[in-house]
Amino acid sequence: MELLDNLAIGFGVALTPANLGFALIGALVGTLIGVLPGIGPIATIAMLLPLTFRLEPVSGLIMLAGIFYGAQYGGSTTAILVNLPGETSSVVTCIDGHQMARQGKAGSALAIAALGSFFAGTVSTFIIATFAPPLARVGQSFGAPEYFALMVLGLVAAVVLAHGSVLKAIAMIILGLLFGLVGTDGQTATQRFTFDITALADGIDFAVLAIGLFGIGEVITNLTRGGEDRSIMTAPIKRLWPTREDFRLAWPAVLRGTGLGSILGVLPGGGATLSSFAAYVLEKKVAREPERFGHGAVEGVAGPESANNAGAQTSFIPMLTLGIPGNAVMALMIGAMTIHGIQPGPQIMTERPTLFWGMVASMWIGNLMLVVINLPLIGIWVQLLKVPYRFLYLSILLFCAIGVYTIGNSAFSVLVAAFFGVLGYVFMRLECEPAPMILGFVLGPLMEDNLRRAMRISSGDPMIFVNRPISLGLLIAAAILLLTVALPAIRRKREEAFQES
Amino acid sequence: MRPRALRVLTRKNVLAGLMFIGIAALGLFLSRHYPVGTTLRMGTGYVPRLLCWILMGLGAIIFLQGLREEDDAARPGGWAQLVPLVVVTLSLVAFALAIEQLGLVAAILLLIGIGALVAPGIKVWEALAAAVVLIVLSWAIFVLGLGLPISLWPVW
Repeated sequence: MELLDNLAIGFGVALTPANLGFALIGALVGTLIGVLPGIGPIATIAMLLPLTFRLEPVSGLIMLAGIFYGAQYGGSTTAILVNLPGETSSVVTCIDGHQMARQGKAGSALAIAALGSFFAGTVSTFIIATFAPPLARVGQSFGAPEYFALMVLGLVAAVVLAHGSVLKAIAMIILGLLFGLVGTDGQTATQRFTFDITALADGIDFAVLAIGLFGIGEVITNLTRGGEDRSIMTAPIKRLWPTREDFRLAWPAVLRGTGLGSILGVLPGGGATLSSFAAYVLEKKVAREPERFGHGAVEGVAGPESANNAGAQTSFIPMLTLGIPGNAVMALMIGAMTIHGIQPGPQIMTERPTLFWGMVASMWIGNLMLVVINLPLIGIWVQLLKVPYRFLYLSILLFCAIGVYTIGNSAFSVLVAAFFGVLGYVFMRLECEPAPMILGFVLGPLMEDNLRRAMRISSGDPMIFVNRPISLGLLIAAAILLLTVALPAIRRKREEAFQES
Repeated sequence: MRPRALRVLTRKNVLAGLMFIGIAALGLFLSRHYPVGTTLRMGTGYVPRLLCWILMGLGAIIFLQGLREEDDAARPGGWAQLVPLVVVTLSLVAFALAIEQLGLVAAILLLIGIGALVAPGIKVWEALAAAVVLIVLSWAIFVLGLGLPISLWPVW
């Protein structure tokens, strides 16, 4: 059994004391930021990137991955207890989860969310282990034209799956591509958009951009929003174990949520948030009495919570097998790899099996830890919510500043991050989602590179993209996706799905 | 009541459209001397200028759509909202200017001191306590733990 051999290698790596420790730190930090509103996984991972410079690559990636899926667990806690989503991916959990808490079934809701997430985490870990190797083999046969076509498809899908206006999402991607151009043009060695500043000659560092947009931008947004009312629902959690009736209703929803989340996670632009929204809509559609939703339906917690965890995990698949980030967090993971000198792509699995399988195995271990962290220790996390935002804000601001400074020991980077913080605030106020911009920023240089390489292969003939079957198929898929959004009927459906919350 | 023409300008999509147009125009201005080349032999300016033109077109469509929408103001509130924006930016600029010459301790004090101005309901002693805790924490993590070459005190 190849799969078992691989998993054995993986567990050998993941079960070393050091890596267990890093998985635990990642899970704890992830739960923490999941519980705390006002700071999300993107900003946290960007801030902690410099901390991982000195670690073994596997350990650093294990920790960063733990933050991402840990946040999915933590986010549900506040959604249920306080009616305040800790993360965007748990927005829908508020609807029925908080109603359950008001009916005295907080414990049951929390347990179902955690157990559903764990089940989803286990299944999606196996999905990664099963489907990643064949996908990587396909990826290894890809040349520059195929990669270029794949990235086009990825960007198009990111637009289709983004919330809100399609036009704004496209504009944000273009903006990201433009910011990616800042620096020295590799072909002609001339500088573009650098304002003759030497520090910009190497381009804008990805982590600086991410910390500015997501960390500092969110801080400013929260401050302008003013004193947020955080009435904590302190009704004592009576029993943690769900009733038999709750179990009966929950388990089919968990299965559906896991399936849906696993599929949506793989799609470019997909991931945790989209999965949870879609799962809620699905549960409402298949329910025999849809009117129970909004009044504490167990399925409304079980489905989305399983889906967001499954989606968070399977979104690693395109990143690990093809080196293509499907969402902003995966873009950061790619950044972390390149910092360690690892070229992301299909060769990772064969050249660095311990890295790949160690990460996969650690995901399952991390999920197990998270059940323990979240269920018995729930009281501690609730206490954390009482930390006033004034302290939280100062700490986040400082760690953003130091984090940015340590990336390149450059005070100039802090100024760049401050600039992107202002920009991030403007984007949020104008409802322009910054996530597509990050994708554009990361994929921009890769696309330009692959485009130029493809042109060299074909000596300047653009027909190369149409003559190769795989590239043609990918481009057709992208065109179809783009067309479907343009059709009014489908556009209405899409808006419905996003407004369901 | 402000005049209608002005109110239109506060709509989210109108503003967003203007922002994209503005950025695109700036990009086109900055890249005005970059050689464009031909489609087969792309020059330095080819891709940037192409992207700027696309961005300008998208911005124009978003702007026009915004004009046609029902009244959808970006946010009531006014200039008071800009205070946190300015203060947070200033605190980061102060940190950036201080860190290399004045050292980590002074940089953190400046960042917290300025940043605390907009911390909702903070008291003076709370800000001081936060500064002390954060200085110790940053020293422990970044200097002691990670061994990064950051000087704590002013470099003369």
